[in-house]
Amino acid sequence: MGILSLTKLLADVAPQAIKETDIKTYFGRKIAIDASMCMYQFLIAVRNESGQLTSIDGETTSHLLGTFYRTIRLIENGIKPVYVFDGKPPELKSGELSKRHEKRVEAQKALDKATEAGDAAEMDKFNRRLVKVTKVHSEEAKQLLSLMGVPYIDAPCEAEAQCAAMVKAGKVFATATEDMDALTFGSKVLLRHMTFSEARKMPIQEIHLDRVLEGLNLNQGEKYKNIEAILKNIDKEKYPPPENWNYEGARELFTDPEIMDPDTIELKWSDPDEEGMVKFLCSDKQFNEDRVRNGCKKLLKARSGTTQGRLDGFFTVLSTTPAKRKNDDKKNGPNKRGKVAGGRGRGRAK
Amino acid sequence: MFEARLVSSAIFKKVLDAIKDLLNEASFDCSESGIQLQAMDNSHVSLVSLTLRSDGFDKYRCDRNLTMGMNLGSMSKIFKCASNDDTVTIKAQDDADTVTFMFESKKQEKISDYEMKLMNLDQEHLGIPETDFSCVIKMPSAEFARICRDLSQFGESIVISCTKEGVKFSTSGDIGSANVKIAQTSNFDKEEEAVTIEMQEPVTLTFACQYLNSFTKATPLTNQVQLSMSDNVPLVVEYQIPDLGHLRFYLAPKIEEDEN
Repeated sequence: MGILSLTKLLADVAPQAIKETDIKTYFGRKIAIDASMCMYQFLIAVRNESGQLTSIDGETTSHLLGTFYRTIRLIENGIKPVYVFDGKPPELKSGELSKRHEKRVEAQKALDKATEAGDAAEMDKFNRRLVKVTKVHSEEAKQLLSLMGVPYIDAPCEAEAQCAAMVKAGKVFATATEDMDALTFGSKVLLRHMTFSEARKMPIQEIHLDRVLEGLNLNQGEKYKNIEAILKNIDKEKYPPPENWNYEGARELFTDPEIMDPDTIELKWSDPDEEGMVKFLCSDKQFNEDRVRNGCKKLLKARSGTTQGRLDGFFTVLSTTPAKRKNDDKKNGPNKRGKVAGGRGRGRAK
Repeated sequence: MFEARLVSSAIFKKVLDAIKDLLNEASFDCSESGIQLQAMDNSHVSLVSLTLRSDGFDKYRCDRNLTMGMNLGSMSKIFKCASNDDTVTIKAQDDADTVTFMFESKKQEKISDYEMKLMNLDQEHLGIPETDFSCVIKMPSAEFARICRDLSQFGESIVISCTKEGVKFSTSGDIGSANVKIAQTSNFDKEEEAVTIEMQEPVTLTFACQYLNSFTKATPLTNQVQLSMSDNVPLVVEYQIPDLGHLRFYLAPKIEEDEN
């Protein structure tokens, strides 16, 4: 899925829509996390030399380790996460999904070849491509989350659509995912890199839908209204539209996705079940007991006491003056100046 | 053309010391009426609002409204180069990308010029609603600083509760708990040592020590500090800058975690 190069386009056209922030600035916020995206991230990223982390029986535990530590990190920073899991894939994507299946078969073949040749780098590469989030992974993650006292939701269909609906209804502050799709579903605020590991020191990207649309001079309806017009106007020989392009169906997927009514959802965070976690993670999955108990203490500590309030609610924003494009200054070469008088004119004259 | 001249550079030094921990950079809005600065810290928990009236300067000229984004760390470095009794002049051209600070020694035998690059900052102007506060406490600024410093050794947050009898600052933590009570003073001989409380109704609020301790960096500016509190609105900590304006800090209270 995803939208080709949308981030890049936004950086060029609507730079004010993207803000880089630190995880610490989200304390007290409720955030919906696209769980399927997360699981995938963990399966890919949480590894040792020989591949995914496994228990003695060879069962994968990367997703659990990831869920455990990254969730603790979020809660320690005062964030209230709610995980949203994918339901059934939308029918329209079946074509795309079967294509992916083919790719997996190819990757498997390549992996076999690399294994035969003993090429470790290639093996690792194709191993990563073969990663797939299974039902078992999701179920285990859900079990862990409920032991940790973190709520999760099973979306009827696509998780991003459900997240977006919850943001729109004011149930949560933002959607955390890497996939820009959440914007097209109408998520007002999208956070990227939220569940990355601390060691990577990646700033969180906060993307605001209203500023995106402002920057692109669109309103959300128009975005979809115009595909017919585009089809009529473009040179079809030069840019052949895809065959069997069911764009009307695709549009419906975004404007009227299958979701659970956000008002019926009740989000509740509770104390972690320490013994339950120890039993699940340590005896079943062979995690280190000290670490699990330690993590549990962190969760409990973060839950106790008072939460720092935010000023945003008390004051109203009267006007916003965004900084001028930083790129302009870079283009102007060595005289790096913060605020260049008439800089805009020069930028255009290139 | 913008030009502002102040005989004592010490005031600027003190203001910078008071805000540079909370804000890395800030925009100074200059207009005919004076210089204003308003900015939230990164985490949007506190807000700094500085007003310097044009009539408080020894010379003030502002032909066109001007916003200057400055790195406060750099600005503080420059002011460290000035002696306390130096006269400071701040100068900038309209639409300039630099600002100049000129320091003149008392006897005019030494004149130094520092030019600083301005920054291009995102800025949000916030409307701060007028509030009738339930409690307004005036007390010696050094006393307030002392209490915040002392109590922050015990816990992460301080509970301030204000009643007719007086103000109670309390905290608790791993080693134990601490309480400091301040009563209203009846003798008004020494104005700078007075504690006065104007109270409509009692208020109890909890605040993070870390921020209070940052605010009290403004203590050298003046003898008295004013704390204004109402339920569920930010605390206002105000320091008057004699003859020139004021420096206000707003701080969002900590809230009890509700289970539902």
